Amino acid sequence: MTATTPARAVRPTTGRTARRRTTWRWLVGAVVVLVGSLVLSVFVGANPVPPADVWAALRGAGSDTAQYVVWGQRLPRTLAGLLVGAGLGVAGALMQAFTRNALAEPGILGVNAGAAAFVAAGIAFFGITSPAGYMWLALLGALLVAVAVYAVGGAADLRATPTRLLVTGVATGAVLAGVTTGITLTHPDTFDRMRGWNAGSLLERDTAVVLPVLPLIVAGLLAALVAARSLNALALGPDLAAAQGVSLVRTRLLVLGAVTLLAGGASAIAGPISFVGLVVPHLVRWGVGTDQRRILAGSLLAGGMLVLLADVLGRIAVLPSEMPVGIVTAFVGAPMLIALARRRRATAL
Amino acid sequence: MRTPTPRTIRRRLLALTVASATVLAVAACGSDDSDPAGSVGDTRTVEHARGKTAVPDKPTRVVVLEPVQLDTAIALEMTPVGAAVLNEAAGVPKYLGDKAAGITTVGTVQEPNVQKIAALKPDLIIGTESRHSALYDQLTDVAPTVFIASQADPWQDNVRFTATTLGGADSADKLLAGFQQRCADIAKKFGTAGKTAQLIRPRDGVLTLYGPTSFAGSALECVGFTTPERDWENSISVDVSPERVLEAKADHVFVTTVDVNDRSTIPASVTANAAAFPRLHLVDQSFWITGVGTVGGQAVLDDLERILTASS
Repeated sequence: MTATTPARAVRPTTGRTARRRTTWRWLVGAVVVLVGSLVLSVFVGANPVPPADVWAALRGAGSDTAQYVVWGQRLPRTLAGLLVGAGLGVAGALMQAFTRNALAEPGILGVNAGAAAFVAAGIAFFGITSPAGYMWLALLGALLVAVAVYAVGGAADLRATPTRLLVTGVATGAVLAGVTTGITLTHPDTFDRMRGWNAGSLLERDTAVVLPVLPLIVAGLLAALVAARSLNALALGPDLAAAQGVSLVRTRLLVLGAVTLLAGGASAIAGPISFVGLVVPHLVRWGVGTDQRRILAGSLLAGGMLVLLADVLGRIAVLPSEMPVGIVTAFVGAPMLIALARRRRATAL
Repeated sequence: MRTPTPRTIRRRLLALTVASATVLAVAACGSDDSDPAGSVGDTRTVEHARGKTAVPDKPTRVVVLEPVQLDTAIALEMTPVGAAVLNEAAGVPKYLGDKAAGITTVGTVQEPNVQKIAALKPDLIIGTESRHSALYDQLTDVAPTVFIASQADPWQDNVRFTATTLGGADSADKLLAGFQQRCADIAKKFGTAGKTAQLIRPRDGVLTLYGPTSFAGSALECVGFTTPERDWENSISVDVSPERVLEAKADHVFVTTVDVNDRSTIPASVTANAAAFPRLHLVDQSFWITGVGTVGGQAVLDDLERILTASS
């Protein structure tokens, strides 16, 4: 990890411009693919509405079926997929940079486990059944558990290493997962309902689910943007970063705040979606190198892209039904991660 | 940890010996006894999914592992001592009434608990080959066990088989004939011929549409409705994406729920297309989906009669 710094210093200038050019090419390519994914997400689904009808519906004309499929299903769902993917991608990149650990993913701080435990309790004890209800429960669970983990793990304490925070997060997550299992095993109705939520799905995620989360994800992305420069300095080690005038506490709080908002928001919309937060930053580093600002921008684009494409795949995989996006990302993400892990350079932080 | 003294070691060894002896004794009871129920009365031979088994002529302590068997036993007024249930927290379904409320639950339909079954000292166990196949040998050690082939077979066949095993074949025929007659009465009273009906169960964000061979789907056909045509893929139900919600359109659409008074349990895709579903009815899934049998069937017909009276 530390070897990257001297290597870059020795690299000739021409190499650096070449690198920068590849980065730009990569980012432009990612934007193009993302736009393609957005188009696919609006035009492809379990109901084979002809593209001409979809286009008509987008302009306010067309049949009732096309109108409903486009405005009632695909557009809200596309927005949901974009937010979830961008949130998970950026949260994953932040976690990996902050912990300087290639295996870190957004759920490691217990955020997903907190969301799941609150959803399970809400279903079992308060009879909540609507996706919007799950969204508020998940959000509350994610935020409360994150704050608890940060307090116990010493997030604002400079003597505490990120490892202490991670151990606290993993332990809290394990306890909460146990609570969730306990609730679902003793309440089979809850088990039935949780099965849908646990898979991670964009089905029935209408504007009532997506819009309340939108500002949180935007705030998380802004915090990530502010933290990006400091993260570059932090990659050199805490001492060097401090010497460059980076406030470690401020960076840490920004990163943790961003991860909580992004991962918590994504969980609140879709439930736990595996692999996106883990694999996207790897994919992006392979393309754009080690600058955190580029990694974060790339993760934003690639995360949205991956979730949207996985969702489109899930819509047509088991016609006339649908496969939840979380199952598709697991299928697609795992081989992707293995392939990337086999290229050494790709996984270097 | 403290080093155990010779005395504690002796005590532990003694406990271990007693425990092993108990296990051996229990095992011996299970294998030696050729007539485990110890019934002295007459027996009949029942042919079933696992071969032929001698069962007591008048069983008194019956354990059932499948909802349709529980429903049938209650219908025949032969209340079982134990039953496997779909949901252990909810226990025996409420639609079965007070008589069923005292039945001991013996685990879930998916995973019955053999120890709990044995503790009830049954003289007959009825289960399902497609679900409980692996438990057959353990169950026969407890009591004579007969299996229906599959819960997916036509429910009337499973009612008849269960009744025959319990020694109430004639009563079952009467119950089934009564069900058919009531269907015909409802069809006549409400003029359902030529109208369509569709049952939807919202599940994990998709919509499960039930076909004519399902329990409630067949009840809808029985009262004269037609199920809208589609490819049922040789199954009792087909899952469809909410994008295809309009394929569920019918003259009467029934949506299952755990709380018929909570309109928020109607899936968003149906609510968003309210105009396409003018006659939409929330129905209780505890008997519409899982109340397989004549008691559940009558409850479905009660519901249908009430709903059709209200909407006509």
